[in-house]
Amino acid sequence: MTFRDFDARHVESSLMRESLVDKNVIARTDGQVVSILPDVNIIQIGGRSIMDRGRSALLPLLEEIVANQSQHRIIIGVGAGVRSRHIFSVGLDLGLPTGALAALSAKDSAQNAYMVSCLLARYGFVYLEAPLVVQLLPAMLAAARGAVFNGIPPYSLWEHPPLLGKLPPHGSDAGSYLVAEVFGARSMIFLKDVDGVYTADPKSDRSAELIPHATAQELIDRKLHTLPIETVVLELLTRAKLAKSVRVINGLNPGNLTRALKGESIGTLISK
Amino acid sequence: MKDIVEDKNSLLTALGKQLLSSSLTDASVQQATEDTPNFAILPWVNVVKIGGQSIMDRGRSAVYPLVKEIVANLGQHKMILGTGAGTRARHIYSLAIDLGLPTGVLTVLGTAVAWQNAQMLHYLLAQYGIPFIEPEGFNTLPHYLMERSAVVCQGMPPYKLWEPNPATGRIPPQRTDTGCFLIAEVFGARKMIYVKDEDGLYTADPKKDPSCRYISRISVQELLALDLEDLIVERAVLEFMMRARNIHEIQFVNGLKPGQLTAALNGDPVGTIIYKNGDKR
Repeated sequence: MTFRDFDARHVESSLMRESLVDKNVIARTDGQVVSILPDVNIIQIGGRSIMDRGRSALLPLLEEIVANQSQHRIIIGVGAGVRSRHIFSVGLDLGLPTGALAALSAKDSAQNAYMVSCLLARYGFVYLEAPLVVQLLPAMLAAARGAVFNGIPPYSLWEHPPLLGKLPPHGSDAGSYLVAEVFGARSMIFLKDVDGVYTADPKSDRSAELIPHATAQELIDRKLHTLPIETVVLELLTRAKLAKSVRVINGLNPGNLTRALKGESIGTLISK
Repeated sequence: MKDIVEDKNSLLTALGKQLLSSSLTDASVQQATEDTPNFAILPWVNVVKIGGQSIMDRGRSAVYPLVKEIVANLGQHKMILGTGAGTRARHIYSLAIDLGLPTGVLTVLGTAVAWQNAQMLHYLLAQYGIPFIEPEGFNTLPHYLMERSAVVCQGMPPYKLWEPNPATGRIPPQRTDTGCFLIAEVFGARKMIYVKDEDGLYTADPKKDPSCRYISRISVQELLALDLEDLIVERAVLEFMMRARNIHEIQFVNGLKPGQLTAALNGDPVGTIIYKNGDKR
């Protein structure tokens, strides 16, 4: 049924004629969210931490993924790494805006994701660009053994301006996490080159201690100097409806991923 | 680690060396990018957002005069015309929330509604050679703007399933106001103009509260401090304005009053202007 008021045509709904900016209207839109792919595990392979190291770091990890695939369905998001650092440097020097840097950087992670998909092709993994994740991921998972996607979200020119500086705030950690959240995945595991979140940067400070478990808000409040995952992931976690925890583990140590997939407490668990 | 960085790599700037050797989550690296120059990609373009519920849903009586005004301005001003979603988005959001679907799925659904409105606007402007472009086709934008002076696009940012959850509820927090603002910001546009069905900003919704007060000019800082229950624009736009490097003011005009869009394009202070106070960049 349609209504006319103020000469506008409306379709009847609970939000009809409402301002979607109105806080009271927004508050009414909460409620139960269903999990679309509840048995899928999203893992993120770091760009700089894993991919840039080449064969010695990546191949054992991919073997471990394949070994786990019969017990745990896995979708892989891949990060960008050092080539993005380089193009940020050139782009910033040229004066390019954040959105342009995001569009450029997404190609680096796409390259990395494509290489991972080539290495896993014989095991039935497919590479999916963002439009195919939207349209075909469930079908692909029914037909294929697994999928690889570009970890950087498709924000491109529409990337948010950051609070400070010009670097795109949503990289492959945020993009992978958002896939886990929207599909209601079983787990979200970040594979990095450190054992988890530390009280300081373990690469430069020997007194740094591993934090085995923290809430996202606790980590935000601690204002750590560096983090192994993008800061924006912590913010996203505070608003989680389905993916209410993420685990950060060292992907250079064989067996870590298998343990994380089993739900063992390893690395750092960050929860809502 | 196989790095392409070396101390004697003279191809890199000092900032470049820092970017290659540190964590991007390091605040000092982010701070170092703060003082880099800003280059405006399309400094002469105007981004014009045509409201969904406020304009498109009204049909011919609102849209035809506005199309006429857009056409009349083609010779003087270059425009990226983005569209809002409107009442069909409200219907599908309400249905999808009832079905338990997440914010990312609502974004995919809402994008389709903004897309429909953009298509309709495009059909009306097609005879003037104005194309409709998808987010993936934005690389061709400079050419069309030079040749035809305007393009039509849907206003939603292309976040799809990757839309972050809002702080409360489930409606996508970054919708068509935000998508158009981000287009203006990334291209360093001349103006960001929102065409709605009100004369501008009020202290409350004038459709519901007759005692509300009109605001013709206000800083984004003041507006955020007022913490109004309802606003003329998505809150994400105000948030992003605070951090924007290129867009320092946005303007709201009444698209139901002929001449307002033209006045705004010509730089006249019609409607409401929200500006950013004390921009050091």
